[in-house]
Amino acid sequence: MFLAAFSPKDDREASPDATLVRLLLQNDVGAFEKIYDKYSRIVYSLVLRIVQQSGPAEEVVQDVFLQLWRNSAQYDAARGPFVPWLLTLARNRALDTLRLKSERQRRLENQTDELFSVVVAPQYEKELDEKRRAERVRSLVGQLNPQQKRAIELAYFQGLSHSEIAAELKEPLGTVKSWIRNGLIRLKEGLHTAS
Amino acid sequence: MSNCDQFREMYEAYALGALDLPERAALEAHLGTGCAECTKSVAEARWLVSQLAYLAPEAATSDMLKGRLMQTVRSEAKAKSLSPVATGPTTTPTGIPYWLSAGIAALLLLTLYFAWDAHRLKQELRAANEQNQRNEQMVASAQNESAVTQQKLAAMEEQIAKMHRETTILTDPASVKIMLAAQKIQAPQMVAMWHAKYGIVLTGQKVPMPSGNRVLQLWLIPKTPGGKPMPAMTVRPDANGNFVILVANPPVAGSDTKALAITEEPAGGSAAPTTTPKWVGAMT
Repeated sequence: MFLAAFSPKDDREASPDATLVRLLLQNDVGAFEKIYDKYSRIVYSLVLRIVQQSGPAEEVVQDVFLQLWRNSAQYDAARGPFVPWLLTLARNRALDTLRLKSERQRRLENQTDELFSVVVAPQYEKELDEKRRAERVRSLVGQLNPQQKRAIELAYFQGLSHSEIAAELKEPLGTVKSWIRNGLIRLKEGLHTAS
Repeated sequence: MSNCDQFREMYEAYALGALDLPERAALEAHLGTGCAECTKSVAEARWLVSQLAYLAPEAATSDMLKGRLMQTVRSEAKAKSLSPVATGPTTTPTGIPYWLSAGIAALLLLTLYFAWDAHRLKQELRAANEQNQRNEQMVASAQNESAVTQQKLAAMEEQIAKMHRETTILTDPASVKIMLAAQKIQAPQMVAMWHAKYGIVLTGQKVPMPSGNRVLQLWLIPKTPGGKPMPAMTVRPDANGNFVILVANPPVAGSDTKALAITEEPAGGSAAPTTTPKWVGAMT
């Protein structure tokens, strides 16, 4: 298989998260609670940052975890680590809420395909706890110039495209593209160095 | 320059969802050819972009959310493990108060209005798309128009779906009516209609306003001896003391519920009741 070339190593397939998700297939409520306790904070923080209101944010978080519970088979450990998958699901749902998209529209646009995309964690990536991971990312992005950081945040938290960000910031399109790319490259290098 | 060179600068922006349509289409077409190098780079970029979630300021979910989720999950796990599945309540409600009938009529009228408006919006959407095809130079603005119309249509459809659900719950003979009587306060009864498939609609009229920022919270009292009250929705009545709330997915089945209760709680609701119930109604 083509995708097999990007399959994680055996030790990752047996990661604690992947094991917990597999238990969901057997209706293991305890496994669900462990996953919720471990990741609800980062999922809620992300969703709240996007939708900005606690009520709708809690609804999105509830949808995300119920989708995980009811459709845990959608997660395929062979396609990458669990947390980026969960965060991608949460971000998409939150952006849909921001854009007032209905479930029907999501189905029409076949956005779920994105959830089956392969994610590959770099070789240097280590299992960090959520707190240390957050500190590391914030510190590195904090070192970017403010415009660069703003452009990345507009793309990630508001789902804006290059041209929409250029219009929002009143900057040339090429400049915005460079800010975002260079900013993410610096983040990537920083994560590598810090590991 | 290899064919991949032109795409190297797009990997991160693609994973971020920031590429504009022409670039995104070009990269996706290239990925569709099965290019291993670009596919791997995009997969790595997806991981990098996922790390941006940690930029969000830390916030904690309410205990109520976890309580609701766990009740739903436990209930579904239990239902899956039981066979055959228990059927819901079938008692036919008797007599609907005149104000509730008026509410139903208003909901039906609103449903018809929104259905008509949705039809009109669909026609607008079709017209916008035709205009799109006729004039390529107008594509960009027509797409924007189409997107706005689609958003309106989606919001409208959600509204219609909610109203259909409420109307079904209020009118279907399979719904069970629960009268919630005020406890030690001078206040009118509240009425809940519980449909095994579509959920609960709770209505109140001339309800005394909770003090400060406090809210009224609905609880489902399980039949199980010693079972803890399960949190449902919170609400603040309008200026006239009226409200209608829909609990689309009750955390427990009606057949497993002994009674409904309403307490006054801090804004945002509580995971467990902190005050004595102001309204109580037994399941019939």
